[in-house]
Amino acid sequence: MSVVDPVRVHGVSFRYANAAGAALHDVSLGVRAGECVVLCGASGCGKTTLTRVVNGLAPAFFHGDLDGSAVTCGVDAARGPVDRLTPLAGSVFQNPKTQYFNANTTDELAFPCENMGMPADEIGRRVADVARRFDVTGLLDRDAFRLSGGQRQRIAVAAATVLGPRLVVMDEPTGNLDAAAVDDMRRAVIRLKAEGVAVLIAEHRLAWLNGVADRYVLCERGRITREWDAGEFLAMPAGRVADLGLRATDLGPARSRVARLKASAPAVGGADDGALLRTEGLVVGYGGRSRRASPLRRRGRGERRDAFRRAIPDMALRRGEIVGLMGRNGAGKTTLVRTLTGLSRPLSGRILLDGAPARARGLMRVGFLVMQDVNQQLFADSVRGELSLGMDPSDGDLAARRERLLDDLDLADVADRHPMSLSGGQKQRVAIGSALMCGKGLIVLDEPTSGLDRPRMERVGALLRDLARRGAAVLVVTHDEELAAGWCDRVIGMSS
Amino acid sequence: MPGTPGAAALDPRTKLVLLLLANLMLFLHAGAATQAIMTALFLLPLVAAGRRRMATRFAALYTVLAVAAMLDPESLGAPWLHVIPALAVGLGMMLPCLITGAYAVSTTTASAFVCAMRRMRVPESVVVPCVVVIRFFPTIAGDYRRIRETMALRGLVSGRFAALRHPMRMLEHVLVPLLMNAAFVAQDLSVAALTKGLGRSGVHTSRTTIRMRAVDWLFMLACAAPLALDTAGVIG
Amino acid sequence: MSDSTAPRTTPENPPVASRGTRLQVPELISIGVFSALYFVMVCVATLVSTLFTGGFGSIFLPAIAALISGPVYMLSVARVGRFGGITVMGMVIGLFLFVSGHFILSFAASVVFPVAADLIARAGAYRGKAPLLVSYVVFSYGLTGPILPLWFMRDAYVASLEARGKDAAYIDGVFANINMGTFAASMTAILVCAAVGGLFGMRLMRKHLAKAGLA
Repeated sequence: MSVVDPVRVHGVSFRYANAAGAALHDVSLGVRAGECVVLCGASGCGKTTLTRVVNGLAPAFFHGDLDGSAVTCGVDAARGPVDRLTPLAGSVFQNPKTQYFNANTTDELAFPCENMGMPADEIGRRVADVARRFDVTGLLDRDAFRLSGGQRQRIAVAAATVLGPRLVVMDEPTGNLDAAAVDDMRRAVIRLKAEGVAVLIAEHRLAWLNGVADRYVLCERGRITREWDAGEFLAMPAGRVADLGLRATDLGPARSRVARLKASAPAVGGADDGALLRTEGLVVGYGGRSRRASPLRRRGRGERRDAFRRAIPDMALRRGEIVGLMGRNGAGKTTLVRTLTGLSRPLSGRILLDGAPARARGLMRVGFLVMQDVNQQLFADSVRGELSLGMDPSDGDLAARRERLLDDLDLADVADRHPMSLSGGQKQRVAIGSALMCGKGLIVLDEPTSGLDRPRMERVGALLRDLARRGAAVLVVTHDEELAAGWCDRVIGMSS
Repeated sequence: MPGTPGAAALDPRTKLVLLLLANLMLFLHAGAATQAIMTALFLLPLVAAGRRRMATRFAALYTVLAVAAMLDPESLGAPWLHVIPALAVGLGMMLPCLITGAYAVSTTTASAFVCAMRRMRVPESVVVPCVVVIRFFPTIAGDYRRIRETMALRGLVSGRFAALRHPMRMLEHVLVPLLMNAAFVAQDLSVAALTKGLGRSGVHTSRTTIRMRAVDWLFMLACAAPLALDTAGVIG
Repeated sequence: MSDSTAPRTTPENPPVASRGTRLQVPELISIGVFSALYFVMVCVATLVSTLFTGGFGSIFLPAIAALISGPVYMLSVARVGRFGGITVMGMVIGLFLFVSGHFILSFAASVVFPVAADLIARAGAYRGKAPLLVSYVVFSYGLTGPILPLWFMRDAYVASLEARGKDAAYIDGVFANINMGTFAASMTAILVCAAVGGLFGMRLMRKHLAKAGLA
């Protein structure tokens, strides 16, 4: 055999600098050309670290001690700069917002070629070619910040492939995509396999890989504990998959339950049915004034921020109820929840709070939006301080309420830590805690489970239930069928 | 399409020269006539690039300033009014710099900017941060919006004049999340850039080709001429 | 949450002075990110300064920028922590100031002062409190470039009066005094504001960023 396997990891152990325990213990893994291998397992099991070892980021960028041998596309990945692997192995990361180095999509596709020192005409040829193969020609020369998450991930795959690598490594590429965008991702992986590219994917969401993945590898506490070929893995009963802590491989049951939850949405009652919030003839959106606010020009033509209007069927949100809001990217979900929390003004129609028409200011007082990126919602230097930030300290009841809430949200152990030093789930709970301290009656969560494994997703679900039990109206914007099926009382579907 | 700039587009390096000329004029105290000619010249590429509204506004502003500069406070019997014509003269001097700057900023793509820097042998250790700056501005804007929205929802330093009453607290609430996120984004960008080969030694090319054409040289000459004549004392 | 998978590793602190003395890509990217933030602070300062001082917008620009940018500077130094970082940051800011139509001497000032600031910070190994504070004060003078045209403005006005045959000597005297006064006030304001801003930056570093493990 003259062709070496793109991934050959042998007996690798890795410990991050400044970390107590090892992230990987004696791991071995091979991926052949044209093969798609899925790394699954709970958060923190070491699958991300393994992808970093394969694409050379650990230990070159994420410093630490590596034992064993990691050979990627014939290059010793454990030694030397990351960029020796650039033409051989492409990488796609989870967060579509931050893996872009350029603001313009064509620049991003050309970027690896430029770094390889290719002449301009060859760059142009390669960009056009890769755009055609991955069906992103229509997305060329656009502002990456104006694309949807799914469109950005498609560009990211194309950018990882533009140099014709033998391996593509993906670290949770669908973390935050809607069903249609996940389908696009699936097509892209099929394309890569057909071209003989090896694909290594670390992923929580598994259903989209059915029929694409050839092997599944389970990581647990830094070790590879199980391996299945696709047939064996998909034949496992749903309960067994759940016991392993994995997301469902078959979303059929979840999808049909969501469909039932959508159908069973009750008719909107009269004004006196005790709903916290109800909408009447609401139209949400934003105006079509063009805005140029960029340091260096980002393309003039067709760049106008388009006007957006969406009529919302009348809806009601009640205390103690968890309502799911689902629909494709671009259906107006975000604009709707921003309007419901008073952050945007409705274009027409009105919103009633406890039966009385409410203005934006009133809605802002009652509602809270837990954003997808919760990092921008925390301000204080300790979790305890965060909960009582901006409150009247002379309120004698304050401290007692705060301590109770810390216990309820399972934050008592970290009460003195800085909120930004916590895990994502803990930060989410701190943000929710700050909203509860303000006495918010409506808690809106935007994609609270994106990129979460099953146990963590279930904890979020339990948290939603707990919020509802406390008497809050909970509205959750989500693409996660498993969350919606398991925890929502009703689902409102928005079509575009 | 980038890479194939329209006939109206000047080379980024020409834009740089125009900026330098505008600065030189400020430096050399060019006379009023030269200043007016140069300002008119500097407005041409803006018009050619289709930024007619911007050009019209600059032209109107320049006219207002020129008229205000003629104000004679003493004949009005109010010496303190000198502040107005003095200001008008000053801003009138700065305006050519602002016009050429606005032209450079509003008509140069990030790619052309990078290409020009590489062609002028600017070291990569300056080119890379410049690309990141352009890339990061929209992120700052988005982060800031979300921070302010959360502050509004939580009733932190909100309401009219809140920023004036508690400036330091406000600054802390805005800056801390911005800085934290900056550190996170810097890491993610580094990972993405390293795997895509930004750290490779050797020549880095550009997808955009820039070229000095006849129109570039001619326009540079046209703009340099009045300044040279002014310095030589022919006009002014 | 987008970041709640695999407990997000705290951004790697690049080990100081590893791998030679040249700035590496991750450091250059950090410099870019913090330069962008600093540039935004300068824009905010321009706005505030213009609001308070009317037309002579830029006269207190450096002072206001110095007052509010301390945290940006301190975190930048903590995360890059190698010679050249401050210098490049100054150059990038100067470049963007120049390209956006500021006076060319802005660029010169944005190179000279940051180099000095870099040297001072290096004397404290980028950690010493006093050298860092002094370094920040010096760095803040790098923004004096945009106010230099005021100097030329006075001359220009005098010239334009002369051109109209006015008695310029009297006017010249009046403006010279005002300008000397404002100039001195502006320079002193930078010193005071940079000291306050630098201390504020250090306080935020201690209170938040160090505690969160980012610096």
